Amino acid sequence: MITRLNRLVRDTNKWSVFTLAIVLFLALPILFIGVELFAGPGESWNHITEYLLPEYILNSLYLIVFCSLLVLIFGVSSAWFVSRFEFPLRKQMEWLLILPLAIPSYIVGYAYAGIFDYGGSLNLILRYFNLDFIRIDVMNKAGLAFVLSISLFPYVYVSARAFFLNQANNLLEASKMLGVGEAKSFFKLMLPLARPAVVAGLVLVLMEVLNDYGAAKYYGVNTFTTGIFRSWFSLEEPQTAVYLSAILVVIILALILFEKWQVRKMKFNSVKTNNTQLERKETKGSQKWLIFSVVMLPVLLGFILPVAQLIYWATITASTVFDTAFIMLSLQSFGIAISSAIITVFFALLLIYFSKWSALNFIKNVAKVGVLGYAIPGAVIAIGIMLPTIAFDKWLIQILGQFGIDSGLIINGTLIALFYAYAVRFLAVAYHPIDSTALKVSESIPDSSKVLGVGHLKTFRKIEFPLIKTGVFSAVILVFIDVMKELPLTLILKPYHVDTLAVKAFEYASDEMVMEASIPSLFIIFTAMIPVIFLNKLLINK
Amino acid sequence: MLTIQSLSKSYDKGKNFALDDVTIDLKAGDVCAIVGESGSGKTTLVRLIAGLERPDEGSISLNGKVIASDKKFVQPEKRKIGLVFQEYALFPHLTIEENILYGISKLKNKKKRAQEMLDLVGLSDLGKRYPHQLSGGQQQRVALARALAPEPSLLILDEPFSNLDAMLRMQLRNEVFDIIKKTGVTVLFVTHDTQDALSVADEIMILQNGKVIQKDAAANLYVKPNTLYVASLFGNTVQINKNLQTAFKCPLNENCCHAIRNEKFKVFPTHDGTDPKSIDECDHITKADVIKKVVLGDSIQLLLKLESGEQLTVMTQDSNIADSIYIGFNSNDILEFSEEN
Amino acid sequence: MKKIFLAIIAISIFTACKNDNQQKKSSTNEKSQDEEVMTLYTHRHYKPDQSIIKMFEDETNIKVKVVNASADELIQKMKMEGKQSPADVIITVDAGRLHRAKEQDLLQSIESDVLEKTIPSHLQDTDNQWFGFTKRARIIAYAKDRVKPEDLSTYEDLTAEKWKNKILIRSSSNIYNQSLMASIIANDGEEEAKEWAKGIVNNMARAPKGSDRDQVKAVVAGEGDLAIVNSYYIGKMLNSPDSEEVETAKKIGLFFPNQDGRGTHVNVSGAGVTKYAPNKENAIKFIEFLVSEKAQKEFTNLNYEYPVIESVEPTADIKAWGDFKEDNLELTKLGENNKKAVLLFDEAGWK
Repeated sequence: MITRLNRLVRDTNKWSVFTLAIVLFLALPILFIGVELFAGPGESWNHITEYLLPEYILNSLYLIVFCSLLVLIFGVSSAWFVSRFEFPLRKQMEWLLILPLAIPSYIVGYAYAGIFDYGGSLNLILRYFNLDFIRIDVMNKAGLAFVLSISLFPYVYVSARAFFLNQANNLLEASKMLGVGEAKSFFKLMLPLARPAVVAGLVLVLMEVLNDYGAAKYYGVNTFTTGIFRSWFSLEEPQTAVYLSAILVVIILALILFEKWQVRKMKFNSVKTNNTQLERKETKGSQKWLIFSVVMLPVLLGFILPVAQLIYWATITASTVFDTAFIMLSLQSFGIAISSAIITVFFALLLIYFSKWSALNFIKNVAKVGVLGYAIPGAVIAIGIMLPTIAFDKWLIQILGQFGIDSGLIINGTLIALFYAYAVRFLAVAYHPIDSTALKVSESIPDSSKVLGVGHLKTFRKIEFPLIKTGVFSAVILVFIDVMKELPLTLILKPYHVDTLAVKAFEYASDEMVMEASIPSLFIIFTAMIPVIFLNKLLINK
Repeated sequence: MLTIQSLSKSYDKGKNFALDDVTIDLKAGDVCAIVGESGSGKTTLVRLIAGLERPDEGSISLNGKVIASDKKFVQPEKRKIGLVFQEYALFPHLTIEENILYGISKLKNKKKRAQEMLDLVGLSDLGKRYPHQLSGGQQQRVALARALAPEPSLLILDEPFSNLDAMLRMQLRNEVFDIIKKTGVTVLFVTHDTQDALSVADEIMILQNGKVIQKDAAANLYVKPNTLYVASLFGNTVQINKNLQTAFKCPLNENCCHAIRNEKFKVFPTHDGTDPKSIDECDHITKADVIKKVVLGDSIQLLLKLESGEQLTVMTQDSNIADSIYIGFNSNDILEFSEEN
Repeated sequence: MKKIFLAIIAISIFTACKNDNQQKKSSTNEKSQDEEVMTLYTHRHYKPDQSIIKMFEDETNIKVKVVNASADELIQKMKMEGKQSPADVIITVDAGRLHRAKEQDLLQSIESDVLEKTIPSHLQDTDNQWFGFTKRARIIAYAKDRVKPEDLSTYEDLTAEKWKNKILIRSSSNIYNQSLMASIIANDGEEEAKEWAKGIVNNMARAPKGSDRDQVKAVVAGEGDLAIVNSYYIGKMLNSPDSEEVETAKKIGLFFPNQDGRGTHVNVSGAGVTKYAPNKENAIKFIEFLVSEKAQKEFTNLNYEYPVIESVEPTADIKAWGDFKEDNLELTKLGENNKKAVLLFDEAGWK
């Protein structure tokens, strides 16, 4: 017992303390929400549970079920076809299938509303053929599920493709040798084996689905996130919003536990064999074009159609939207995204390396708590940051006021709060690429530096950082894209003189100027698209 | 100079011990080899000495100063121990020269020192190359140069030759130890290969399941192994169990465990049922049928069925083997161990 | 290439941070000596507003810093900023939100003869804390080929059996609907209002969704016969850059309800001077400018709203709809009844 205590004292170093501090810092917003729960809900809570909560729950469940279904169909089929078959434009398809990630789902929502609208593109085409009695209405639950699925399926596509490409070949060959056909091999062997990879992607999708505010609001579907906005802003009861947030967090935790349980059940899959890359099958004639169309469909629906609609709108409204102020706004948006990406990656690096340098083993597990922010919807994080920063600011104003200094709000309503929130929300996005590249650097490399008499920080600067540069770089890009697209958190926390392209697009759309929203939307897509393509290259080169 | 006392380390909170109560004393200038299979704890021992892991119990002192105990822990960068990693761990983005300079950046005449080290390991002209441009053996020597550059008082080599093929291995082993002998540094040398250990070490320690089971001069280990395990590390060994004792009619002490080295068996080919002449040379002998004969290059592996029905595998150099033979050994070749292992 | 890229990053980071500093400066109430400034918190991000602000700047040499966000967010923001708020004027697109700001002690009473005289009294706050500066009416857009205008009469009549599955209206989270509901609560009482909401829900052609424009399009598409929409959206559709929208808008007829009774429900875009306005004088000047003829003409010509002053005529498109009797209910009531309206909507099952 004494030695154990001695060891604890011996092994507690400044890195352990720093790691704990960072984790605490990142978990603070969530802790605050937890604490706020004890204060009881606002006065409209009963009203909400009676009239609205059942709807929120049903709608959220509906979205979870149908989005899962659609995302699986789009994501897994396209991943299998591009990994297994050779067909026209296959190489291009591989990255085209990722592009829907460059479009925020609410913007896909606007575009589809425009396409299916009365007087919208589809309606006009049908009218030309005198078929305009056909009307498809997308602005409902089903439409929302479709829009979210078609813009989020790449998460499943990416993880399923990685599995098929790198881990499936030996097993597939074995199956072939046993005389099992293509289709049966897929359904009986590949699909069950890919399940952990697919479920991991799916959980990401569902988190995004529950996080969505823009599309649900526009399509008039009441979900937890719209409910949080409603109770905070329309009913002016942050307390009630906190309660709704807590329920939402419980749902998401359930999803995460489901994934963990899935993975545990599927432990056999973690057996890593030295697999060769999956061999592609040549396709011929009608089969070739059938596969081409199946893969093309999600690209068409998730990227080409919405972007075409946006470009059409943009040509109509360019003159009214595009001016110097807009260029400034774009630059600002870009600047915010890149700054927060750098800050977030910085935090991720601190967390990864401080916990590594800490000699206490449990610290390494504690560090993982820091990445949970990704599971928490933006609106919830925003509330969690608003509460403590206001309290802190008010306290500071009081203190400084005694010295006659009028400081104003230092954190709240400034970029600091926004950057903080992005760091909390997107830390996991930065953490994973860095962590996986860091894992590829053999432990003995930094060890040998230390044995040669060089300390942690210098070792990191001279040895580790140069070796994990690509990971850090892709982390910056990934966070950048996410921040460019982020809406609910930005809406609540942004300084009011600062706009982002995402917010601008949302404001136009909610002011019934959805056509005007096309230009900021296209700007987001464009700035996010380049890194997405670039990232695909980076991933393939690995 | 290196004193390790009752050192223990567990990675699963005391359920299993990677190192269990290990005590070592190393004199300055010694070359000591630690031999063990993978999982025996030898890498853990190296990492504990280098400061890359922290002990659960026990202490390590270097040159009279405690560098690790349950109260004290000196960071690896402050220990001045040279370590050559199994996979060399050269910094891939630095040149050979930069790799060597890395640990001596505070030295005044560092450039000169680096060149000396390159000369020492015979890579004088390759300073500007990158590690991936070198062969495995060259990388090995760079790693050695890098570790020796800061003039450590203790040099640890962790499986230094395991990544090389057999021919290169022997050649490089001699080269490396020639270089080391020139510097006179104390060496702790970890390997799973007894050949490595026997050829260069003054003293050898055998590690099994985290425990030191024997520590002795190289020659003694072959002759007087403590356990059956140690005996088998240094050559094929056959345990003489109850059945064999009956077969060879040599009752032995029941409280001990006995074995004999495979090469100590004597095989007497018989022809036409006549007994061979030299049969008296053996204390214990029995008749056997050859069930299977496998020619392994210069030697032959025989699967025998002894008269008692017992089966036994032995090696012989004699290619002229009949279907029925005599086999025997001498009592003074029997190894006796105090307890079973 | 790399340098250009880095330069863009540097510039954009600079832009982002520069604005942040500006905010701090104004929040510490430092007024530079030679430059007159004021900060405007506004929900309106329409083109004419920008040109009106420009006109104001040119005329008065007062620089206007504009902060754009929804009224709800702006009010939350001001509450949090408290005394430190840089805002001088807040503009919302309905009276209810202004009343809420007043209730939360975010506005101050001001004295201005100009405002007092030009703006009709029911369009301004009783304590002079806020003033409406443009009007919009919530009217009925009907399918010309299916509905006889003679059959239409009042908002209340829309709950009648004959309109079963015929009515299109957007969701209850929309502020214009909340204000309409608030006016019905004020006129008919809470119980009646709840019954009315239930009646409308019964008669809905589809679940509420989309914008006011979407309701109009749905009428033309034949999903329903009537849409309850704001007048200025029709004006905007008639002048849309999208020719399809223009065609759509031409296909509907407009009806101003309750002409024989209290009049059609109107709401305003309004402005108020904030309680801790650092530049109060400039703020008053600005609001006065909003009701000047120049500004009023811009509002009606470019945004198709009704002017609040008599000397300015509505723009031709709106004028063509004819004069109408408006409900002279004090708009303060809209604010007072807002939360009630939201809760009653929920109870009536209005999504």
